[in-house]
Amino acid sequence: MTFARTIAITKRIVKQILLDHRSLAMIFAAPLVVMSLVGASFNKNPQLLNFVAPALICTFVLFFTFILTGISFLRERALGTLDRLLTTPVSRADIMFGYSISFFFFAFIQSNIILFFTIFILDISYQGEIWHMFIVVILMAIVAVNLGVFISTFAKNEFQVIQFIPLLLAPQIFLSGVIQPVQNLPNLLQNISKVLPLTYGVEGLRLIMIDGSNLSGVSSQIFALVIFASIFVILATLTIKR
Amino acid sequence: MEEVINIITANIHKINFNYGKRKIFDNFSLQIPEGLSFGLLGGNGSGKTTLMKLIAGLEKPKSGTISIFGTDSIHSVRSKIGYMPQQNTLYSDLSVFSNIDFFACMYGLHNKPDRKKAIDEVLNTVGLYERKNDAISTLSGGMQRRVSLACVLVHKPDLLLLDEPTVGLDPDVRVIFWEYFKELTDQGKTLFITSHTMDDAVHCDRLIFLKNGNIIAENSPQELIKATGNSTATLEDSFLYFNSLDNNNDLC
Repeated sequence: MTFARTIAITKRIVKQILLDHRSLAMIFAAPLVVMSLVGASFNKNPQLLNFVAPALICTFVLFFTFILTGISFLRERALGTLDRLLTTPVSRADIMFGYSISFFFFAFIQSNIILFFTIFILDISYQGEIWHMFIVVILMAIVAVNLGVFISTFAKNEFQVIQFIPLLLAPQIFLSGVIQPVQNLPNLLQNISKVLPLTYGVEGLRLIMIDGSNLSGVSSQIFALVIFASIFVILATLTIKR
Repeated sequence: MEEVINIITANIHKINFNYGKRKIFDNFSLQIPEGLSFGLLGGNGSGKTTLMKLIAGLEKPKSGTISIFGTDSIHSVRSKIGYMPQQNTLYSDLSVFSNIDFFACMYGLHNKPDRKKAIDEVLNTVGLYERKNDAISTLSGGMQRRVSLACVLVHKPDLLLLDEPTVGLDPDVRVIFWEYFKELTDQGKTLFITSHTMDDAVHCDRLIFLKNGNIIAENSPQELIKATGNSTATLEDSFLYFNSLDNNNDLC
């Protein structure tokens, strides 16, 4: 792995997205629009919003980041630029880290829009420290970046990436405690929820925001998210084949 | 009599390759000598691009070996190879300079002043210095082809794999390119070029006619033309001649 190559890949992708003004505007606008809609729909029931906010924050971070990363990386594969890159002395790790850092840059922006819009504009009540919430949200974004790169391997076009949303993201919404607590699910589904990263993001953020836990109180959730991020980054790196 | 010893840049030895059930190469062997422009001529689906990809390490043979610069491990010699694919796989929203700069960095030119010098040099070679700040998407297809070539010339590789490098180029630019390719081979660089057009193929030092993954003829363009026995024959006639010979062999 060469640091200079990783940085060059990161800079190139960031530059490309910055030059694509429409996509850039969407990166900022989409979470703002969605979270505004969330705020408006819970206007008459702020107590309920306080309860669902942690789950919604994690879900939208996963959703937006997955789409951004999955489609961007797929474009590299489909246009042949990734193949061309693979004929240079660049290593798979250079590519993976270059892409992850650059996509994370934008995921970071989106995640912060979602988190801080929910806290300050929607004005929800919360207990824990903001920077503790920030760590869980950022870990969720890292998981989603690596998941997006990994999943793009199995798609040949943008349409197929979109098909992964009902396949990968929808079950997480139903099984990760977003709609109802995991404990209310049948045993089999409870077991499945244990292998879903969103479960740990939602649990962690709820513990901080509703119960006022600190980082040590959500250490197992943070550990699980780090494990998911590591597994996905390894899987994604392995899928970049010459 | 002085014996000429050819150093082999790429040695393809008894490779087998297939896409699914479709066999592309069956026990295929080829040696590419150093310091020559080696042309690969063949119809659609003859295996030209696949052979390029195999040499570039983008595909792996099912069996057999491909060694480049004496090693089977292509990764260790990637910085000495430049692969230009058939499609202009460039970052269309970035400028000409940014594209070349990116590939220069990937090929290991990490020192910024050296890299800039190499980019300016190669921009002059492909005649796009004045357009260096323009986005790729604003260039014509032929200009994009020139940028694509610049991206693989910037690190001065010893082996150039050029898949249809002159497609879409104006005739005058094509002539300039071939003059430049000649300069490269004079410097000892090896060029492996696929082509559809006979006008291009005739510039190569050595040519292979490829058909259905098999070499049906290999020699200098002049010798291949001479082999037809017709003093007024062109390279196209030669290609058709060897093609028909192969068809007759198939019938037998």
